[in-house]
Amino acid sequence: MIEELAFIGQIAVKSSIAVLLATLGEIIAERSGVLNLGVEGMMLTGALAGAAVGVATGNPVAATVAAALAGGLLALVHGFFSISLRVNQVLSGLALTILGLGLTSFLGRPLIGTRPGVRLAPWPIPGLAEIPLIGDIFFRQSVLAYLAYILVPLCWVLLYRTRTGLKIRAAGEDAAAVDAAGINVFRLRYLCTLAGGLGAGLAGAYLSLAYTPGWKESMTGGQGWVAIAMVIFAGWNPLKAVIGAFLFGGLTALQFYFQAIGIELIPAYILRMLPYVLTIAVMVLVNTGGGRRRGASPAALGVAFNREG
Amino acid sequence: MTSSPPAVLELSGITKHFGDITANRAIDWSLNAGRIYALLGENGAGKSTLMSILAGRYQPDAGTIRRQGRTVRFQSPAQALAAGIGMVYQRFMLVAPLSVAENIRLHGAAGRSRSDRQGASIRELAVRYGLAVDPDALVQDLSMGERQRVEILKLLNRRADILIFDEPTAVLTHTEIAGLFEVFQRLRDEGKTIVFITHKLEEVMAVADEIAVMRRGRMVARLAAADVRSQHDLARLMVGREIILNVDKPPAAPGETVLAVSGLSGPAGSSRPGFEEIAFEVRRGEILAIIGVAGNGQEDLAAGLAGLTPLKTGRLTFKGRRWRAPQWGRKPHEGIAYIPADRDRTASVGAIDLVENFMLTQLAVFSRALRLDRRRAAAATAAAVERFAIRGGGLKAPAGNLSGGNLQKLVLARELARHPDLLLAEQPTQGLDVRATEAVWQALLHQRAASAVLLITGDLKEALSLADRIAVIFRGRILDTIAARDSAAIDRIKLLMAGLETG
Ligand SMILES: Nc1ncnc2c1ncn2[C@@H]1O[C@H](COP(=O)(O)OP(=O)(O)OP(=O)(O)O)[C@@H](O)[C@H]1O
Ligand SMILES: [Mg+2]
Repeated sequence: MIEELAFIGQIAVKSSIAVLLATLGEIIAERSGVLNLGVEGMMLTGALAGAAVGVATGNPVAATVAAALAGGLLALVHGFFSISLRVNQVLSGLALTILGLGLTSFLGRPLIGTRPGVRLAPWPIPGLAEIPLIGDIFFRQSVLAYLAYILVPLCWVLLYRTRTGLKIRAAGEDAAAVDAAGINVFRLRYLCTLAGGLGAGLAGAYLSLAYTPGWKESMTGGQGWVAIAMVIFAGWNPLKAVIGAFLFGGLTALQFYFQAIGIELIPAYILRMLPYVLTIAVMVLVNTGGGRRRGASPAALGVAFNREG
Repeated sequence: MTSSPPAVLELSGITKHFGDITANRAIDWSLNAGRIYALLGENGAGKSTLMSILAGRYQPDAGTIRRQGRTVRFQSPAQALAAGIGMVYQRFMLVAPLSVAENIRLHGAAGRSRSDRQGASIRELAVRYGLAVDPDALVQDLSMGERQRVEILKLLNRRADILIFDEPTAVLTHTEIAGLFEVFQRLRDEGKTIVFITHKLEEVMAVADEIAVMRRGRMVARLAAADVRSQHDLARLMVGREIILNVDKPPAAPGETVLAVSGLSGPAGSSRPGFEEIAFEVRRGEILAIIGVAGNGQEDLAAGLAGLTPLKTGRLTFKGRRWRAPQWGRKPHEGIAYIPADRDRTASVGAIDLVENFMLTQLAVFSRALRLDRRRAAAATAAAVERFAIRGGGLKAPAGNLSGGNLQKLVLARELARHPDLLLAEQPTQGLDVRATEAVWQALLHQRAASAVLLITGDLKEALSLADRIAVIFRGRILDTIAARDSAAIDRIKLLMAGLETG
């Protein structure tokens, strides 16, 4: 029983890391006022870049960095359109996702079926991994999962305990006031958008290097969209993002578990839908329950800044 | 000026165009340390534009700015601030959900200083200049006067020594204005330079050392306040003729009661206190003013009467028909015209042109079958532009480009064109220059002949000039209603407004 629990828990955490990384990045971007619906596209691009550099070099660090940079590069495209050109952010983000989908499916063809060049295998942390249950669940994961663990409190401290965080939060509430304070809103938003892209790229790396090593077309399977939903669920708070991500991971793990033990109570395709359907359900509940969360939304989210306008 | 110390700031030939409009035309001006400058001019004269150029928000198309003799070019507010020039805008630049301390820190965050000169030094600044405000309070919970103090603290914390204020008194109460002027004087005595824009001539006489007047983009006069003998002189400089804001008010000839309310309270479904037990009646042919210091419930009352927010309890009788409070706001009432205080968002749509804005509240009038009759609307708008001397980029220009005063005149003209039974005018002259104020006052008095007018204002002079009866609102209740003819009433109204006397 304990063993099964440890197993399900481990899979749950394992299945939540990509969403968590992408959510953290998107939180930073949205806090500064930039809505980027291109997470899915950036994640896919990151996954492909990671897999490709992995095959080419066999170097895990190079593969991970390449993935993050690929996501970041795409985010800068979004930044250029939405911050500099002040194009509608929803449109620009959607275009990014479509671009990512098309580009990766085209460029990724030669990689399909090749042996993955890098596998980030679970790396038990000496000592911590021996803790019963907890150790099995949390500390027999890949390096990128540990990176996510560290990034959660780091993002929180950044947002709530540093001057930069204050600037970011303020830019998301009232860009004109931040500009009047003598802070470069454009640079700030570009950097935050970039951070969002790096997060999504890392999430992609996690998928193609650790979760299911190797490249498969559309391998993100909508996790980018789940991440966008999780940002709202978390009320733009990095600590709460953990809960949302684990919820998604937990549901995914349960689905695997039922499949594995061969219970055919529910058809498999409905099980596979479960994480997404429940994510939507949770969102609806959270947002209808008193409307408190909506108050947490950055007031200037999605609104371009223009000094002379 | 006999002895002239070196200028801390010198403008020469500053010019700024917005499309076809020349907002500033070859402006020369120099500012000295330890002086308070008042900048006057009609609506749309280009005052805000000029100040925004000094503060680095706009870049001039031509001309140079010299700071202590050195030529500077500001690409952003950051650069102006680094050069010691800070501005408090008409619309406060504070992040509402953050605390006072966070806002000040945000401002300091752009600076070079590493150390957190937070707590102690802010308190020290606050004491030194008499700017008391709780550092932990959220900005959204502060009064306008307190927000302004935060704005000043922000600039002082960045060691600004030229402080620019765009119509700082427009949103303040009498006591807050007196407090602000004391702060101005203390800052001046410390050697700082203050520039403030105002439309109130008595404020200029009260606090300014130097006066500059703009008209249609040009700087038309610069003089020492000591050389100005009276407000009449100033008015003549501003608009080219004498305006002393004395409108003739013939005695009222009240007709039938248009609106009567009793036991009114609201707004419904809000935790805000709002207003309670409001009772009054207003008849055709008279102006009833409801006067109060901002934030005493009159904003909620106006929104409730206009049907924008639901009323909680009470009864209303409008044109002989009786309503229970919760039913009142369900659908718009034929015969009520409303001039909201918030002219940028409630009263108009900035992105669409003047004609379309003019049609907004009278679509039925300008439609023929399914089509809008744009030509007739354009003609009506042109007539309004003519009658009220609305200046801006023309009928096809977006309303958002109009200066505050011109936009207000457009809204007023639109609402008068509806031939209302009841005209609800909320702060109709806030931010307007003397000429525009006079035009609005005359229009309201003129409208009195045909309508019942309910004037909601914080401006005592306005209430006294226009109203036949004045009701004073304090903490959501009407304390007393006083006949305006009664000249002994003025002192009593002041006391009532401040809550120092009960009704
Ligand atoms: N961003 C803008 N775009 C286009 N036109 C503008 C803009 N800002 C100002 N204007 C125009 O420039 C002129 C000067 O405007 P400005 O706001 O400086 O006047 P002002 O003297 O401050 O008036 P007020 O007393 O009403 O505030 C006006 O005709 C206005 O319509
Ligand atoms: Mg102005």
